[in-house]
Amino acid sequence: MEGLSVFGAAIGAGLSVIGAAIGIGKIFASAAEATARQPEAANEIRTTVNLPLFLLEGVAIISLVVCILAVVL
Amino acid sequence: MAGNNGESFGDIILHHVTNDLDHIYMPIHLLGVNLSITKHVIMLWIVGLFTISLAVWGTRRYRKNINATPKGLSHLYEILMNFIRDDIVKNTIGEKEGRFWLPLITTYFVFILTANLLGLIPLFEFIPGGSATVTGNFAVTVALASITFFSIIIAGSMKHGFIGYWKQMAPSNVPKPVLLILIPIEIMGMFIRPLALTLRLGANMTAGHIGMVAIFGLPILLHQFSVGIISTILNTGIFFLEIIVSLVQAYVFTLLSAVFIGMAIHSEH
Repeated sequence: MEGLSVFGAAIGAGLSVIGAAIGIGKIFASAAEATARQPEAANEIRTTVNLPLFLLEGVAIISLVVCILAVVL
Repeated sequence: MAGNNGESFGDIILHHVTNDLDHIYMPIHLLGVNLSITKHVIMLWIVGLFTISLAVWGTRRYRKNINATPKGLSHLYEILMNFIRDDIVKNTIGEKEGRFWLPLITTYFVFILTANLLGLIPLFEFIPGGSATVTGNFAVTVALASITFFSIIIAGSMKHGFIGYWKQMAPSNVPKPVLLILIPIEIMGMFIRPLALTLRLGANMTAGHIGMVAIFGLPILLHQFSVGIISTILNTGIFFLEIIVSLVQAYVFTLLSAVFIGMAIHSEH
């Protein structure tokens, strides 16, 4: 039973990392595209990108913490 | 993977990245709450002392003469303050309300940055009792995030009035059944924001240190001391990454706190 919870947590951590990676990749892909189209708006694009990036990172970290708790508790 | 004295390798790593609750300098129990002085409390005092003395030392010229030319440390301090005021507070909270919230936001940034960077200095490992990074302790980040939690409510109440703030969390121009879903989501969001702030800062600081200690533990784990050369080189790189993470996490916590306070002030449903 102990091994099963570790197995589940490892799978869950991997899945949440996949989701976060897709999200961050999409954010930066469109940011790079937008900067290439309009280089003079680079600063504005950078500040716009920051906030959803950090919120996304927060969601990913919460899911990783839940995975750790599944093992520890 | 058993260590020398029956401890597993994971326990040894955890001992180095968390607060050791068995190593108590001064036991204090107040009203049934454990307020004992551990290493993180001592580190918290050091960080607080550092933050206060930096502020006092960095602004001593301006207290004598408001138009003094910056020099040395006060130059650095002015760049930092200008950055927080122009790039974080003005964009998120706004010019007028920003003046009121600027001291809180700057304190967040300087305090978290100092705590993160002091935790990276190996010198503090000589104080026995666990890790040196205060912000890697979830109790500290919970305290910081609850200051943000109450600041959001106070900021909204100051702008819209106490009743008005709670009222405008439920928009009036939507059909009634939607409110049934919307109100629980708004209430959940109120608590999830500080929770996300807490976990982000604490988990990021702890995870980096776990990685570093684990890589340094490889030669002991593999009984092969030539691996130590590789792990030292690898850890030098990770250390620079950790410095960047320290800066980014201080920035993120500050920015998100400012954004949430700004959202409470400028919320127009």
